[in-house]
Amino acid sequence: MQKNILVKALSNPLALAGFIIIMVMFLLAMLAPWIAPYDPDAFDVKAILLSPSWQHWMGTDGLGRDVFSRMLFGGRISLLVGLVAVGISTAIGIVLGALAGYYRGWVDTVIMRLVDIMLSIPSFFLILAVIAFLTPSIINIMIVIGLTSWMGVTRLVRAEFLSLSNREFVLASRTLGAKDMRLIFIHLLPNSLTPIIVSAVLGVAGAVLLESGLSFLGLGVQAPQASWGNILTDGKEYIQFAWWLSLYPGMAILLTVLGYNLLGEGLRDALDPRSQSS
Amino acid sequence: MNINTPASIANTPLIDIFKFITTLSILSCFTFASCSQQPEASIDYNKSYPSQDGGTMISAMTGEPSGLIFMVAGESASAAIASNIFNSLLKYNGNLDIEGDLAESWQISDDQKTITFKLKPNLLWADGKPLTSADVLFTWKTVTDENTRSPYASDYQLVSNAEATDALTFKVTYGQVYAPALDSWASLHILPKHLLAGQDIRTTSFARKPVGSNYYQLSQWNHGENLKLTRNPNSVLGQAAIDQLVTRIIPDNSAQFLELMADNIDSMGLDPIKYSRIIPARPELKKNLNLYKELGNSYTYLGFNLKHKPFDDIRVRKAINYAIDKQEIIDGVYLGLGINISSPYKPGTRWSNPTLKPYSYDPEKSRALLKEAGFTKNANGILERDGKPFAFEIITNQNKEREKSAVIIQRRLKEIGIDVKIRAIEWASFISRFINTGDFDVVILGWGLGLDPDQYNIWHSSQQAPGQFNFIGYNNPTVDKLLEQGRSELNPDKRQEIYHTFTEQLLADSPIVYLSAGYGLTAIHKRIEGIVNPIPPAGIGYDSHKWYIPKPYRRNQISAN
Repeated sequence: MQKNILVKALSNPLALAGFIIIMVMFLLAMLAPWIAPYDPDAFDVKAILLSPSWQHWMGTDGLGRDVFSRMLFGGRISLLVGLVAVGISTAIGIVLGALAGYYRGWVDTVIMRLVDIMLSIPSFFLILAVIAFLTPSIINIMIVIGLTSWMGVTRLVRAEFLSLSNREFVLASRTLGAKDMRLIFIHLLPNSLTPIIVSAVLGVAGAVLLESGLSFLGLGVQAPQASWGNILTDGKEYIQFAWWLSLYPGMAILLTVLGYNLLGEGLRDALDPRSQSS
Repeated sequence: MNINTPASIANTPLIDIFKFITTLSILSCFTFASCSQQPEASIDYNKSYPSQDGGTMISAMTGEPSGLIFMVAGESASAAIASNIFNSLLKYNGNLDIEGDLAESWQISDDQKTITFKLKPNLLWADGKPLTSADVLFTWKTVTDENTRSPYASDYQLVSNAEATDALTFKVTYGQVYAPALDSWASLHILPKHLLAGQDIRTTSFARKPVGSNYYQLSQWNHGENLKLTRNPNSVLGQAAIDQLVTRIIPDNSAQFLELMADNIDSMGLDPIKYSRIIPARPELKKNLNLYKELGNSYTYLGFNLKHKPFDDIRVRKAINYAIDKQEIIDGVYLGLGINISSPYKPGTRWSNPTLKPYSYDPEKSRALLKEAGFTKNANGILERDGKPFAFEIITNQNKEREKSAVIIQRRLKEIGIDVKIRAIEWASFISRFINTGDFDVVILGWGLGLDPDQYNIWHSSQQAPGQFNFIGYNNPTVDKLLEQGRSELNPDKRQEIYHTFTEQLLADSPIVYLSAGYGLTAIHKRIEGIVNPIPPAGIGYDSHKWYIPKPYRRNQISAN
């Protein structure tokens, strides 16, 4: 069933474009050690802020490091953070949403109020506050982003569970004496999986942006490790002169976020019977 | 003496977002050219004219002063503005010799403990009231008052008795001989008693609308935007040439630079990349700007927390010193605009010991020293002692030059097997959370120094309490004794000898690694004439009241806002 949806989604040219963008990004990031022409952290004080050339495809930064190599390795961080953070938030969202949607009553009330409270706090500032107390590192960033962005998934899963649990196949199974766990894992969850996937794909785009934002502010990935966000920060000072330091990481973030959004939208359209075209 | 943070005090993350947006909006403004007002067709700014009065000079600063009473505010932004408004008893001339400012003459008693200042006659405040020794006495009482909580109080608390014997005479007596005494009177702004008596100095509105005696007076302060100074008609020291000084507050360095390019400001401080790469590459900028370079009285260093292991071991400190290539940092980070130093004094001054040599870059020696200290390489290529890998964190404030230096050091130390992490922290929490509590292993920081060689606050073992300046925990009885001697020695030659021995001892102990003494870099529009070049030891601005703007070069008065 999942395969059909992917195929259906990819028949939409925009979604296909998104899918290709993401695949290319992943391929470049995974093959970084083989593609990168230079060591991303090796500086050369004689080659500071060189504009793009055949030696340095994307120029060099303020310490003479090769921007192309740093972009490749930075892509690993940005893409990884996006995936893991969304993995964490989706896992939390599924568990809490399933509990709320299946058991209802006070469990539902408690979980939904928690969601309301979390949603009432501006998440970017919450993340800034939390990171200020922790040592900034990739792991911390992934965990903190994950822990502050599960609310959407929770609501989604709960809504799916509420509507599914009154459907005939669930009622039938319950009448036959199925236990809670069997109902949740065999009947309800698999049937709510597709909207979760869509929201996760869209969520990755948000997480990539968040990580770039945090790294831009110096609270994300720490030197000398590269990430698109901190290459962008380095470029800020010299934006009128060394345009390549701002343009390339900016484009990479833009393309990745665009790719995830296009793919997410495509999947949603493929899943939504109302938007089906002939 | 203050901890040195060039252009980075305002570098908190949230402001950064804002800055980024401002930069972008200004940039779009700039590229579309429609919203930036171009001055009339190219004026040749290379002619020189005789001095003439009038005109407006616009400069920019990153941080807004918290107030203009410097003894309370204690920050560089406040000093920059207030020094145009207030006078001290003494001042430095271009060659850093002390001469009278408000004082006409001064006499030191035979026992070296009493100084008698004679004020110039007929001094006036900007509001027309007479300035007398009563004002000086009032200022001394205020700065030493516990309630003022001035960071500079300790210098003046050494005065055991101060009196205004007549309207023009002010006499101070020290408990014991205090060598930096005259310097201290060259940095204390004299405040008007008739406006401040009976007020709480920390909260008075005077800090926002000051009345001084110097060339300029504050005429307007638009918060968050600019401060306007106009000529003080009652200045008895003569009249400045330029009518109006406007200082615009632009928190972001790149936004300032865009304003400079659009000819909306006349001067700004530069970083090495702007100074030696960006401006020279743009003929239209080079045509209108003069660039100035002066060796500042400050340096950047890597400091060890001597209370933490293994930095209590002198072999380890020396090993790290040998493992860092200072020239590489000067070339890579400061683009050659720095000096490799071996003492905490400005190179070329009498206090800097010319016989000392900086630690060379010598990784072999470094490895040998670490081996001697008991470190061996483990399977991962990291040095280890007693089963513990040699790893530490370098912390610094969010300052681009320091962060870059840290990255270079990290790489070099990795080569000899030390695992270094870097953390750049926002200034306020950097000081309160890490420096004041001593919760750090290694820091990269800078010291901005006064002109007197006394560095008791920084190196004496008694100065280690939270908030005091010896936060690295340096403790050497020989150095303590030298610093005490240096403070009470008035003979300059003997003093020089004391401080030369002190710097030698300091270099041998290697409690810090000197990274670079950096240059102050400034761009000033060519319309401003009368700037002394080459810059005298006292710095570019010491006689800025003589700068002038020839009539043909002046901006349209309306656009000069």
